[in-house]
Amino acid sequence: MQRHELRGHLREALFIPSMKATTKDQALEELLDLFVAERYVRNKQLVLEMLRQREMLGSTSLGKGVAVPHGRTTATADVIIAFGRSEKGVHFDASDEKPVTLFFMVIAPHNDEGNIYLPILGSLVTILKDTKKRNALNKVTTFAELVALIDGE
Amino acid sequence: MGNSELEQLISLQDLDLMIEESQEVEKLGFSITGCSELRIAREELAAKISKPLLFRYERLRKKLKRAIVPVKNDICLGCFLHQPTAIGAQAREGVDLFTCENCGRMLYWLD
Repeated sequence: MQRHELRGHLREALFIPSMKATTKDQALEELLDLFVAERYVRNKQLVLEMLRQREMLGSTSLGKGVAVPHGRTTATADVIIAFGRSEKGVHFDASDEKPVTLFFMVIAPHNDEGNIYLPILGSLVTILKDTKKRNALNKVTTFAELVALIDGE
Repeated sequence: MGNSELEQLISLQDLDLMIEESQEVEKLGFSITGCSELRIAREELAAKISKPLLFRYERLRKKLKRAIVPVKNDICLGCFLHQPTAIGAQAREGVDLFTCENCGRMLYWLD
């Protein structure tokens, strides 16, 4: 997947430059609330439960202060990504025990057209493995800055 | 077939798809530690489903990603072919599992 295609799944309304959450569950809920407010998700509790179940399967933190909570649900029609940045960091059961400061939440329907869900997760992992990208993402304050970074500018 | 068995069959497929996708997600670099628990849950659920139905499901799953799909607006959501409208009438009379005449998938009615 090309980075410009990844950008197509980001939404300005699903962007939090400074998250309030201090716990893992609060972080999941704070990001999910954006999907609900913008009506990308029809049933908050259903999706929250799915995200919690996914975390029980293994933390979606990739270490190094990043997490990509993700999952499929019948409560959405499109693959959509929310971004959140926490200045203080949130304990997210990461294998390196580092608090998470960067969140990309990916919610997908069970039948996503063109099977783009896994390539999207793969692209995010690739971007987040890059130390320079992570450092820059930790400084973004606007959606335009986020998109520019995702586009590789 | 009782409605609960239909729900168990749908849940079984959800678990099977989740196990398969977990393996793909793990390859991307995510830590998946709970897969063995998922497999145990899968086997416990499979044991509750009648053997002929489970056999049919597992045989279909060998060739199709989804063995059981909804039929909506008389269309099989597996192969997207139009189904006889009689399915809707039968569903209203209490029949809960059908077979797609084109792809052979198990179908359940979605209002």
